[in-house]
Formats: sequence, C-alpha cells, structure tokens
Amino acid sequence: MRTQRFRRRTLLPLFAFLGVLLPLLTTDLAAATDAAPAKPVKMNSTADHTKYEDLQQVFKSGPEVTKACLKCHTEAAGQIHRTKHWTWEFLNPENGQRLGKKNVMNNFCISISQNYSFCTGCHIGYGWKDKDFDFTSEVNVDCLACHDTTGSYKKPAGNAGNPVVGEPMEMPPGSGKMVKPVDLTKVAQKVGKTSRDNCGNCHFYGGGGDGVKHGDLDSSLASPDKELDVHMDATGLDFSCGTCHKTSSHDVPGSRYKPTAREQHSAYIRGKGEKVNPATCQACHGNKPHKSPILLKSARMNTHAEKMACQVCHIPAFARGGVPTKMSWDWSTAGQKGSDGKHMVKKDATGHVTYDTRKGDFALGHDVVPEYRWFNGDIKYTLLGDKVEKSDSPTPINRIDGSPTDGRSMIWPMKIMRGLQPFDPVNKTLVMPHVAGNDDIGYWKNLEWEKAIADGMRNVNAPFSGKVDFIKTEMYWPITHMVAPKEKVVSCTECHAADSRLKGLPGIYMPGHSAKGWLDIIGWLAALTALLGVLIHGAVRITLSLRKAG
Amino acid sequence: MQSKFPMTLMALLIGATTMSSVQAYEGDWKRGRVYYRGVCTTCHTAQGGTPIGPNTKTMEEWSNYMKADKHAAGKDTVSQYVGKAYRDSVKETNKAAEKFADTPDEELLEDIRVFLLKSAKDGDSPASCS
Amino acid sequence: MSDRIYIFNRFNRFWHWSQAVLVISLLITGFEIHGTYSLFGFEKAVSYHTILAWSLIGLWAFSIFWLFTTGEWRQYIPTLEKVDAMVKYYVTGIFTHSPHPFRLTRLQKHNPLQRIAYLTVLSVIGPITWSTGLLYLFHDYWTEWGLRGFLVLEWVAFFHTMAAFMMLTFVIVHVYLITTGHTLTAHLKAMITGWEEVED
Repeated sequence: MRTQRFRRRTLLPLFAFLGVLLPLLTTDLAAATDAAPAKPVKMNSTADHTKYEDLQQVFKSGPEVTKACLKCHTEAAGQIHRTKHWTWEFLNPENGQRLGKKNVMNNFCISISQNYSFCTGCHIGYGWKDKDFDFTSEVNVDCLACHDTTGSYKKPAGNAGNPVVGEPMEMPPGSGKMVKPVDLTKVAQKVGKTSRDNCGNCHFYGGGGDGVKHGDLDSSLASPDKELDVHMDATGLDFSCGTCHKTSSHDVPGSRYKPTAREQHSAYIRGKGEKVNPATCQACHGNKPHKSPILLKSARMNTHAEKMACQVCHIPAFARGGVPTKMSWDWSTAGQKGSDGKHMVKKDATGHVTYDTRKGDFALGHDVVPEYRWFNGDIKYTLLGDKVEKSDSPTPINRIDGSPTDGRSMIWPMKIMRGLQPFDPVNKTLVMPHVAGNDDIGYWKNLEWEKAIADGMRNVNAPFSGKVDFIKTEMYWPITHMVAPKEKVVSCTECHAADSRLKGLPGIYMPGHSAKGWLDIIGWLAALTALLGVLIHGAVRITLSLRKAG
Repeated sequence: MQSKFPMTLMALLIGATTMSSVQAYEGDWKRGRVYYRGVCTTCHTAQGGTPIGPNTKTMEEWSNYMKADKHAAGKDTVSQYVGKAYRDSVKETNKAAEKFADTPDEELLEDIRVFLLKSAKDGDSPASCS
Repeated sequence: MSDRIYIFNRFNRFWHWSQAVLVISLLITGFEIHGTYSLFGFEKAVSYHTILAWSLIGLWAFSIFWLFTTGEWRQYIPTLEKVDAMVKYYVTGIFTHSPHPFRLTRLQKHNPLQRIAYLTVLSVIGPITWSTGLLYLFHDYWTEWGLRGFLVLEWVAFFHTMAAFMMLTFVIVHVYLITTGHTLTAHLKAMITGWEEVED
C-alpha cells in the first residue's frame, strides 16, 4: 500500500518531466534504447556456458569436465591447489602444528586414515582413495562441487570423491540402494557462482549427516527465514556464504584452525583491511555497532562488545532450524547386536538415531544454548602421538586458549562435542581406526576394534600396541552462524541473573549475578535487626499502653 | 519529431515480446524453493492443513499436478496462488510474496515447477517441506 | 493541652515526600538489579533505576540550594547535647510516658538524634550512593576518561550496594520513629500539613 501511494505521488512529476524531455532526446536515444532492454540476458554471469562447444559433449568422468573448464580458466586449478579445501592441510604459524583434515582427529568418525573414499566425498577433487593421492594433478580438481547450480551434482560417500556417471550404482554394494548418475553435461553447462547449497553440500553435512558436526550449520540454512539467520534470510538480505567469506583466488577466508577471536577496529571500507579476515562481524559492523536513542544505552551495549564476541548475544541458541545436532558420541558402547544377532539401530521419538551397533550411543540436541568460554583464537590440537591420560576429566581434542586478562580474549559461545573414543592405553595415544568400508577390516562392517585400529595406524606409520580402551574427549566448536534478528537476541536477564548463561566464567562482574555473598549477609542482617528492633520496641509500647489503659 | 516517441515505445514492446517468446524462460529452482516454502508451506501450515513435502510425489505426479493446475481438489487453481493478484494480497504479511511481488506469473510458476521436479521423490535431491 | 508550630514549609514537605518515593523505588529496582529478586526484569529495572536516580540527583541539587539559601542547613549541625537524654527516653521514658526531653521549635526542628541521623544520610550515605552510582552509570566511559586503571566495577558496585543497605536500615528505623511523637500520628501529620503538635 505504502509503495503504491508513494509511486503515484512521485511518478506524476516524473512523467511530466519526461514528457517534455523525451521528445527532445528520442532521436539520439533511439539507437541505444532499441537494443539494450530488448534482449533477455543472463544477469548473474557474463558467460552462458551452454554456448561453449567444449561443454557440448558427453562427459564420462569428473576429470573430463575439469579438462574442459581449464581450457579457459587456465589458472583455476593452480589456485585451488594452494587452498585448504584441496590440501586438507593447514600449518598453524603460531605453534607449528600440522593440522587440516588430513592430520587431525575428532570425536565423530575420528579421522580420514583408511576411510579415504568415504571422507573424500567432500574433497574438492576426484579420486582421493588412499594416502597416495596426487595433489599436483590439475584435472583431479573438482570444479563442479562448488559451481554446480542445478543441485543435481552429488558425490556419494564411498566413491573417492567421484560422482556416479553413466549407469546407476549400487551403494554400498549389495545394499540394493541405487545412486542415480549425474548428468555431467547438464551440470557443466549450468555452472555458476557458488551458492549456499554448494557450500552446504559438505559443510551442512559435516560429521556424516545433516547438522551433525557444527550445530550452527545445517541444511536449514540453505533457504533460511529471518529468524534463523538475519543475513541469509532467503526473502530478505539473502547473503550467500561468500558474502561474508569473501573469497579471492578461490581461497575462502575464515578458519577454524586459527579463528579471529577479537577485533578492535571500525568497519572496513573498500581497499582497507585486505589482509584481515573479512568473515568477522566487525569487518562490516565495526566494534561499536550499537546505536540507540536511549541515553547511555549504545555505550553500554558497545562496552559489552569489548569483552564478548557478538555471537554471545546474537546467537541465542544453535541448531535452531529444526535439524538436531550431535552433542555426544559414545563409541565404547558400539558393537551390541539386536536379539536377532544383527546390527541394530535405535531411534528417538522424532526418528533420529540414538544408537547404532556400528557407532555406539549418540545424544542429539536442537535449540541448544551454547556453553561460554574465554577464547583468544589460539587452538592446540591433540594430534596423533601426543600423550593422553585416561581420567575423569575429558581429554581436549582441541584445547582452546583464553583468559579474561590476556588482552586478546573474548567470551565466545561454543558447542562442546563430548564423547568416548578408542585409544591406545599402552602407548597412551589417540588412534585412527579404519571404520568405513565394505571390506573385512572396517569396524562398521566387522565390529573388531583391534583390526580396524591396526589398519588405520599402519597407514599413517604410527605405532599401535594392539590394546584398545576408551577415553573421554571433548572438542570445541566456536558458534558463529545462525545469527538471530535483533528482536531475538539473548535478553539481559539470561546473564544478569543468579542462574546466568555465563555462570562460572572467571574475570567478570555482572550485576544481578556476581553479588558479594558476605556483603549481602551483613546488609540483610542489619536491615533485619533494625526491623526486629523497632517491632519489639513498638510491641512493648503497645503492651504497656494497653495495660495502663486497662 | 513528437510523433517518434510512441513509435519507439511500440518498437520496444514488440521487440521485447518477440525476443522473450523466442528464448524460453528457464526455471530457477532456488526461487521456486523460496516461494514454495515461504508461501505454499506457510499457508498450508497456517490453515491447519498438513504441508506437502515435495518428496511426497514423483516427478511425473508433480508435472501432472502443475499441468492440471488444480488446487484444493479442483476448487481453485495453483496458478491463482502464484499469481500477482494473490501475491499482492498477502505481501503485507508474507515476505516471500513481497520478495516476488513483481515477478511475472509464468516465471514464478516455472520456478516452482522445476523446484518440485528436482525435489520430488525420484528427483535429483528429494526434499521435505522445510 | 497542645500547641501547634509550623515547622515544615511547602518545599521542605515536597522534598521529603518525593525523596521518600524515589528512595523506596530505587531500593526496589536496585535490589532487583543486585539480583535479590526479579520483578520488572533486569533490563527494565536498570532503566527505571537510572531514571529514578537522575530524578533524585536533581531533587538533591534543589534541596542543597534550598538548605543553603534559607540557612536551614543549620538544622543539621550535630550536637551531643541531650543525646544521652534522647537515648534514655527511647530506651525507657517512652514506655512510661515520660515527657520528651527535647522540645522542638521553629529554629530547632530536629532532636539531637535526628540531627545526627539526617546528617549521616545527607553527608555519608547520600554521597556514597550518588558518587558510586554515577561511576556505575558511566562505566562505559571509564576508558575514555582514564579511570579504567584505578577503578574496578566490582568495588564500585560493592560500595553502592553497601550504601543501599545503610539507606534501607535508615528507612526502616525512620518509618517507625514517625510514631513516637506527641501522639502516634503527630509527626506524620506534621510532614503532611507542616504543623507539628507539641506538648504544652
């Protein structure tokens, strides 16, 4: 309604103006206006890939498509080769730790060693099936994983990063489940800019299923509403992942191995801050983002932002989109079979798996209130070979560093994934079991830890005693996605209260939460004594007057 | 000189219509997804009915459904609920309708059609209602 | 039997009652912010507390002006004279209906205990409250003003809360002592009408 009224009012003088002007200009403009708006063009790209002859062919494999892409995009593969997405390796410059999926362990499916063809369904390459994958190969770069726009490009787990081409494939073999082949020609002809769906194909499904790993990334973010994510809101701002993770030369910024925990600067303007992380809130909003007409309120909010990451208040809970996330995984209970002697699966009321013979017990959570920790961005992983001790306190898979006094930390919301996973009690190290695979070693098929671990460890030349025990572990996942609209932020009372979200965090004084115990005792005793004193005094007066009167 | 203006406009209009009929519109499943979830599912849920997941029908069933253009067992039409008039009537309260307020009817119908085919039971990536 | 003296003029009464309302509301909202109970919700409690605090500061500015321009400040000069008699009165005399040891006049409207108590409120509890309160309120500007190195919010809050407990204790005793006039309601009437009934 409002826009219509506005239009009518503004358009009238505009027409009058054009009426006078246009007849004078038509002769000159005619040539230009005739052509421009008439021809429908693609507005999201300068190239229509259906028109390229190189793409008008039947492709029999992924690398064949890449070969065609590289004819024009000559530098693309080289750029990809330099990224974490390709190498699955990251050298932490702070502490020299060699990280990346290729090296680290987690407390989900644990590690990629001897599970390559399953894990690498999410590698942006073709054919990584064992430790000898050729990382220098250009044609093995998978362009389509990130540039498919049809939504039909799939790389099933177990196929070493290859799509199914030509004939339907039974996966896993003998299961009777057929995977449809991908029409590579169609996909190649319709390549385009990377969208939420492309990133989501892997990042929404980390840990082996929708929402499993991160908690703040799941399929509900493919087309979210405003409530779920104020920036990605499909009917609103409609940000893609790349709007924040501003990519250049195929290198996507924003890192879980070396996150930016604290930033004290105003918003970046174009050309500034190119060497910094563009994916932080502050990159766009600056570090004093709150504006309020109420006296002192914006300053108060901005002071909060000096100690707390934006995410603390602006992400009230994770896994808010209806997809639950895994909160714990107990591998030690794996292996129990049903009364029929077969593998069994237990599900909760909503149909989500809570026990699987192959994997053990799970706990799931949705609308999870995060836990909060001081965090300065430094993370130290427990890597293969690092000594671990079995005890009641969990072994951190990634130890996050931070304190209220180091000048570099902020309070961050975290998903803390907890679990029990196999380890070597003799060598006192975590282990890399071979879990997936349709062979006579993989744990998921054979349910024998010793064999599975020995194989995974042999593959990476790590010692294994042959003994297996289970150790409590925890893993930190800083929460940063699923930013709620400002009406839905964490309210003051959720922290400024006895039962505070930030309960137990050192180094903060919070009115409403951190009151001094002994001052309260003395204060209330004083008030109570005064009250009792005057009551007794009054009572004596009343009794005496009554007696006198009587 | 003044008579040239209407003539230019005519030429423009004719040019535009012929060109677009020559090059058929290619549906955008992502737009279809937003409309399907934002308008279709939202309304079905609000009316107390059960939302219909795209994966509850096969590609062929969806294709026939869109062709038949029958909504609520023939009481009204599907295109009516995709049409501009309907979008205008709900756009104050529905952000998806507002987003596509100016999108031509036939484009939006095609967007929804390709989304449904892609997300059907036997489609490229079967999808539930949310 | 009794005599009437006009001891509280209109401003004096206005000051007293608006201060009473403000102090009690500040105690209610303040203890919510402190975390003692929840009533309005933390955010609202903070807003109300802030508005009330500014009002009280404004009122105090006016009353200080009034005290000095009218010379009423002399009413608060402490004296030890008759303090012992006053204490004795409250401990024993009041029960036996002994005569009040202090006879108020226009020029001496507070008994010696009142003088000490009110002076404490005005010069100790008040200043602790508003100085720590202002620091608390402007906590977000400490860095800019170079205070961050000297002050710790925790201790500012501590003294503010301490003053609040003192004020609360004062209010309790004060409310009771209203009933200790010539009649039960004599003091209350005086603060409403300005006229105090005194024994002949």
